[in-house]
Amino acid sequence: MYKVVLIDDEALARQLIAAHLQSYSNIQIVAQCGDGFEGFKAIQQHEPDLIFLDIQMPRLNGFEMLELLDNKPSVIFTTAFDEYAVKAFEAHAVDYLLKPVVKDRFDKAMDKWLQSAATRQASATNVAPLLENNIYEGYQHRVVVKDNGLIRIIPAADIHYIEADDDYVRIVTKNGAYLKKSTLSHIEQTLDPQQFVRVHRSYLVPVNQLLRIEPYEKESHIALLQCGAKVMVSKTGMARLKTLLGW
Amino acid sequence: MFGVLVVHVAILYFLFSFSTEVIVYDALISTIIMAASIWGIILLVRAYPTNVAVTVYALFVALFISSVTVFAQYEVLKWWMDEPAYYGYYSWLSQTLPVRFLAVWMFATWVATISAFRKNLAALDSRFQQQTDAAALLREAELFKLRQQLQPHFLYNSLNSINALIMIAPPRAQEMIGKLSDFLRSSVKRESDDVIPIEDELNYIGSYLAIESVRFGDRLKVVYNHKGIEGTTIPPFLLQPILENAIRFGLYGNTGTVEITVHIQQMPGMLELTVTNPYDPDIQPSRGTGFGLKGIQRRLYLLYARNDLLDTHKDGRIFTTILKIPQHHVQSRSDR
Repeated sequence: MYKVVLIDDEALARQLIAAHLQSYSNIQIVAQCGDGFEGFKAIQQHEPDLIFLDIQMPRLNGFEMLELLDNKPSVIFTTAFDEYAVKAFEAHAVDYLLKPVVKDRFDKAMDKWLQSAATRQASATNVAPLLENNIYEGYQHRVVVKDNGLIRIIPAADIHYIEADDDYVRIVTKNGAYLKKSTLSHIEQTLDPQQFVRVHRSYLVPVNQLLRIEPYEKESHIALLQCGAKVMVSKTGMARLKTLLGW
Repeated sequence: MFGVLVVHVAILYFLFSFSTEVIVYDALISTIIMAASIWGIILLVRAYPTNVAVTVYALFVALFISSVTVFAQYEVLKWWMDEPAYYGYYSWLSQTLPVRFLAVWMFATWVATISAFRKNLAALDSRFQQQTDAAALLREAELFKLRQQLQPHFLYNSLNSINALIMIAPPRAQEMIGKLSDFLRSSVKRESDDVIPIEDELNYIGSYLAIESVRFGDRLKVVYNHKGIEGTTIPPFLLQPILENAIRFGLYGNTGTVEITVHIQQMPGMLELTVTNPYDPDIQPSRGTGFGLKGIQRRLYLLYARNDLLDTHKDGRIFTTILKIPQHHVQSRSDR
């Protein structure tokens, strides 16, 4: 028996998937959720094998929710938007169903998943590369982190700077620092490049935090931020700053 | 030309003492030849293929034609009056050649310049016309595109809801198809109208909200408040995207019931529409925000050439959108 969670903010859309799933005797729907927060909780609680996931949802969208999960289940996206680079997705996620979701297409997606589940193909690896791509349309104005099991949404404006820390990034904000399992390059891709500059291999800094830049060693500088912190600025980082600020 | 003839006769008659016969011959022949030359100049300038340096070209034409003209006049007059009685006239004719040339040349230059100027003006006019036409076409196309922007994902989501209802509650599916058809029908019907009565727009909004409330059920609540707005008009498809924006903003920022208010009132010369929706300042929608509003701003600019008709502000947990529609300006536009 496979456990399935349905996550969509429209009740009818969930009911449609549930109705499509009725013909599958080995599937059990363990939870239905209306937004990313609920979805996150339900996935941690039930550890499903497969989730059906909408992208645009209240509070936490589908991508942000996936980012927070340590053990990602297999994902079949269901959305009315084909802008999310449909083709790129089909290679990574189990499938990408466009609304309206019709039975034929739905069955194809299920066949695909059931086959991979039967061969015990690790499903978590399927989604990971997808999250590394530039999947968001437009830039995010926030970063989502886990903080003692709680989900915290950090507005981009509250960020003082972001620092690379092994497999994690440390996001320093006016309310304290948070660790997130991600890479600095990935965070850099999702945030607006007009506001955030990679000044160093290990530092991503909002432009409006910069107070002063002083020479440090040969070919490197040090930036003083409004919060009082000092971060290294590499030669390439300095060049990026110059282009962005038009020095 | 007749004037030229008279002047010519007058000069010959008063300044020189020739017989009437000589005066008439000289005047007639000179004038006829000159008329032909002037006509030639006008044709030549008109036939010039482009407008590049047309004035310079015209001046050259004038110089050339006037030389030819004077030469022709001289030769024809000499040939016509080839009798001993006119020998005195002969020498006089040779002496007056420079003066004749000067007079013809000035006249030819004048005509040529005017032709060139006219030609330039006509070209300028047609280019201007072309540009206005192109601008009007572009504007129409852009307006059309902006009106179209509201449809696709709304339609897909609605179809998905119908799809679900077919499986779980077929009678309600039929009802939903009816509502969606109403909405689509009024979208198509009003495509070409510049402005429509506010009542029509509110009906349209009604059919739109009927669909949204099927999709979102109890989560969506819309409160209307309008009085004394009879007889006012609004360009179609402006209010609906604002509402769509408010609904999306509201629903994606909250999980409970979302209340949207629509307040419409008449101001002097203006119709003012205020839409509010709750929003969570901490949770900014992650994509596509303001897409609808930008489109509306652009449309308002194309319709009224004004940028101050759409205003938004955030007040605590309430997001307000204010849309102003000038009431007189619209009427004058429609008879364009």
